[in-house]
Formats: sequence, structure tokens, C-alpha cells
Amino acid sequence: MKLELRKIQIKDVVFGDKMEVNGGVLTINKDQVVAKLMEDHRVKEIKIDLAKPGEKTRIIPVKDCIEPRVKIEGEGKGFPGVTGKMVPLGDGKVNVLDGAAVVTIGDIVGFQEGVVDMWGEGAKWTPFSKTFNIVVDIIPVEGLEPHVHEETVRLAGLKAAEVIGEAGRYAEPTNVEVFEMGNHAEESAKYPNLPKVLYVEMLISQGLLHDGYIYGVNSQKILPTLIHPNEELDGAVISGNCVAACDKITTYQHQNNSAILDLYAEHGKTINFLGVILTPELTTLEGKFRTCDYTAKLCTMMGADGVIVSEEGYGNPDSDLLMICKRLEKAGVKTVLITDECSGWDGMSQPLADTTKEAVAVVSAGNVSHVVTLEPADKVIGSAKAISTLAGGWDGSLSEDGSIKCELNAVIGATSEIGYHNCTVKLY
Amino acid sequence: MSYRIVTNNPSVRDSYKNVIFIDGTYEDVLVKVRDLVHSGVELIDSPLGASIRMLLSPYRSILVGTERQAMNADQILLIEQSILNYRTLTQRRNSEPQHANDYAVVDKALLEASIQAYEDMKCPTHSKFTGGEFLETRA
Repeated sequence: MKLELRKIQIKDVVFGDKMEVNGGVLTINKDQVVAKLMEDHRVKEIKIDLAKPGEKTRIIPVKDCIEPRVKIEGEGKGFPGVTGKMVPLGDGKVNVLDGAAVVTIGDIVGFQEGVVDMWGEGAKWTPFSKTFNIVVDIIPVEGLEPHVHEETVRLAGLKAAEVIGEAGRYAEPTNVEVFEMGNHAEESAKYPNLPKVLYVEMLISQGLLHDGYIYGVNSQKILPTLIHPNEELDGAVISGNCVAACDKITTYQHQNNSAILDLYAEHGKTINFLGVILTPELTTLEGKFRTCDYTAKLCTMMGADGVIVSEEGYGNPDSDLLMICKRLEKAGVKTVLITDECSGWDGMSQPLADTTKEAVAVVSAGNVSHVVTLEPADKVIGSAKAISTLAGGWDGSLSEDGSIKCELNAVIGATSEIGYHNCTVKLY
Repeated sequence: MSYRIVTNNPSVRDSYKNVIFIDGTYEDVLVKVRDLVHSGVELIDSPLGASIRMLLSPYRSILVGTERQAMNADQILLIEQSILNYRTLTQRRNSEPQHANDYAVVDKALLEASIQAYEDMKCPTHSKFTGGEFLETRA
């Protein structure tokens, strides 16, 4: 498989009559985007706004972030299996509007937070403060069931990214990244002495507002599955998870999965990267045993010497993370875990909801309970209700000058467990 | 019926028959589940949710077994640890009565998904076809 991600660096975004990129400036025809999204009869109204890095703008409550792209060569329009006809992904040439993001907002349920601040303290914690954001507010018709509402918002965001991605069809890339990998036999023949490494990416798969999709298939219903890293980089994995702001993996982060990119960068140098296993995080203990056993089996079947496992969310998935680790280490496979911590305001409490002695190599993506202070914004895109939820969430969270004290768990992507975020780690 | 639901969510109480209703908090639900697990009742669901937001929910519904079996040390450890983590997470959290209904809706939806997953696994009514036969005979 060979995938070319042709990055067109976006330096500004404006509204206009056309849909194009010229000199790094992305022009968006708002009416065209709105018309496309209004084709869905479940959508009552679409509002589109822009948020640029450095502006004193707050976006809340964020549902998903998606990178706008267009495939200029090869199969796969939009998101196959979801917004487009089903075809296998991972091959071809894709023009990427690098530095732009479609950010969807809207209240599906009232308690959602999910803040992106484009400036100041808040901006430090979210990677989406550095992107030029096209914020799409999706207001559905009345009376939709929460499941339908969530699907409406999810699809609208993906379609918006597809329509806006078209703007880059004829633009020249500023750099081209090539991802190419042969089959296992070929790669292992090329690199016989390098350790074989698999990446296990766990996905929250538990129901309303807590789902992930692979080619449109709800991951709740699958056994762990092997996927080529190119497929994920090409848009095969979609977020339907709206409530774990700090550590949900947005669609944008799947498209740019840092763990995959880093493993790819080492492929043929220090490791032989075998591919990605997508593993659902279920709620029942029996389900967890099944997926964890199956994940470990896939890893050993593939002959992995080492496995990197990343989690999504916090709480019951900690058990899956550690059960996978336990099974792999017992099978002699070296295992590294990427997770985040919930260790209290002082960072001193036990970080995970479960534990195992085999977990000896663990990367923390941050403490979700870490407290940050967000200054008042000049402009808020989104919901005042969500702001009041954010402001009232914690003891003494709203101060007289209007600044809000909140835990990192309210900030989008703040403790990304695939490492697509701004925190770094210290080696102990 | 091979499971019971320990819940403090009134809409779950009103929708299911096999409910142990707790007139109390999320933590009270965890404590009741802990007591049951200590007495040998199987823990079917993992005690905590998968997202921080739902850990802040006032409502929680957890599936447990119906019969007492031998004590399961792993499950005891899991529920005890979950209670400690729950306390850490919520110690400074303010309640959100204005969102109680939404939390109840999501808690119930997640419970439904969990029951479905549990029932899928138990496969109470296997098809007579063991797979492929129907399609093959047609072809």
C-alpha cells in the first residue's frame, strides 16, 4: 500500500464566493457547505463560523474535529462506508488542508463541555488552538432521539470536511509525505533483524455518545481487527465519542494518529512495524475478556516482539488496557502502554482504575484532574449553557473577573492517549 | 433472567423488572455492588463508565448476576479499586441537578447497550443453521 499525503499548508481561512486554496489562504463558500449539510432532513439549521489561532475565541461544546481533505488519485471519496461508497482505503494521493480543521459543536445532551480556547492558558492545552477552525454548529429538527441526533451531528461534520476538502483539489502541496509498506513477508524479508512491532489502538465502544466506527461499522460489534496503518491515516476510523473531551480520539486525531506516524517513522530503522489492531473497549467483563484475549492472540499470531497499546477514555477501559498488557507480557511480548491519569488536583492519587504488575512500561499523557484557569473570552462560538456547566463544575470554579477554573478533562484533546497533544513526558 | 440491575436511575427502575433500586448516589450504587460481589454475586459490568463525564453522572446502572457463587477475588479488587477512584475523581465536583435528566438518558442508553452485549454473548437462541449452510444450499 502506498499513500501520499500531500500537505497544503493553510495560513488563513476566509469566507468567499469560491471554494479554493490560494497562496495558503483557504476560501470557503459558506452557502455551499450549508446547502450540502441541509440535504439531511434531520438538520434544521447550520451555522458556520471561523476561529483562528490567537483570537480570544472560545469554542464549546466541541463534538468532533476533522481534517478537510480530498483524494485526487485512487479510490475513496469522503469517508467510505459512512459518507461515501464503500471502497478500501490506504492507497492513492490525498490533498490535505494542513492546519485547518472542521470543528463540530452542538448540545446533544446538556452536560457536555469540550472546550477549545484559541488563545491564552486554554490554548496551551489543546492541539486545536493551533488550527484554523471552521466551526460548524448543527441544529437538528425538534424531537430527535439522542442516538439520531448524535448521528446527524457526526455525519454533518464528516460531510463538511469533505466539501471543504474539495477546496484543495487543485492546490500545490508544500510537502508530500509518503507512507508505503509491503506485506508482512516482504517487510520481514527486508528487515530480518528488526523487532516486529504492532500497535493496538483501543476504541471506546459502549453505546450512546461512546462509540467509534471503522468504515462505518460500530466497533461495539466487532472482534479486535487488524488494519493497515494507511487505512487509518486515510480516514477509515471515525469518532462517535462525544463525552470524554480530554482523551477521546477525534476523527482528526485518527487521521493523524501520532502513534502510527511515529511507528512509521521508525519502520525499517529501529523496528519492523507490522500494523494496527483496533480493539473495542466493551462494558461487560466477559466482553473485556473476549476482546483482550483476542487482541493478545492476534499479536502473538503475527509474531510481534513488541506491542504499543493506546487507550481511549478513562475508567473501565483501564481494565482492558492492563488485561491486554498482562496477556502479552506473559506471552513474552514486550508491551508499552499509553494512557492518561486521574490522580487528583495534587496528582498524588492512584492514576488508573485498575492495576497489574506486568505494566512496567507506561507512558502518561497527562493528569485529567490537573486544574487550569481559562480567562474570559471576547467571543464564544457555541452554547452559553455549556459555558455555565463548565463554570459551575467545580468548587470555586467561577471567579469574579469571569475566569473559569476547570479540570483538564473539559479541554478537547488535552490528555490525548495517542499522543496527539501538547503535553510531554519526563522519563523516570 | 440471568442478570439484575443495580441502579439509582429512576428511569431504569421504571423500565425494567429485575432492578435493585438504590435511593441514593452513584457511590451508594457502587457500595451496593461491592456488597453483592463480596457475597459471591457475579459482577457482569465493569463498575465505572468509560468517560470522565459519565463518571460525574448522578446516576449509574450496573449489571450483576442473580446467584451467589464462590467469591471472586479479582472482582472484589476491581469494585474496591473503582470506589477509591470514584472518590478521587469526584471529591471536589459540584452536583449538576440541571442536567440530571440528560445523565439519566445516557446512563439508560449505555445500560441498554450493555444488556444487548451481554445477551449477544449468552446466545440464548442459537439458529438451527450453524453457518453458511443456507447460502450454500441456495447456490
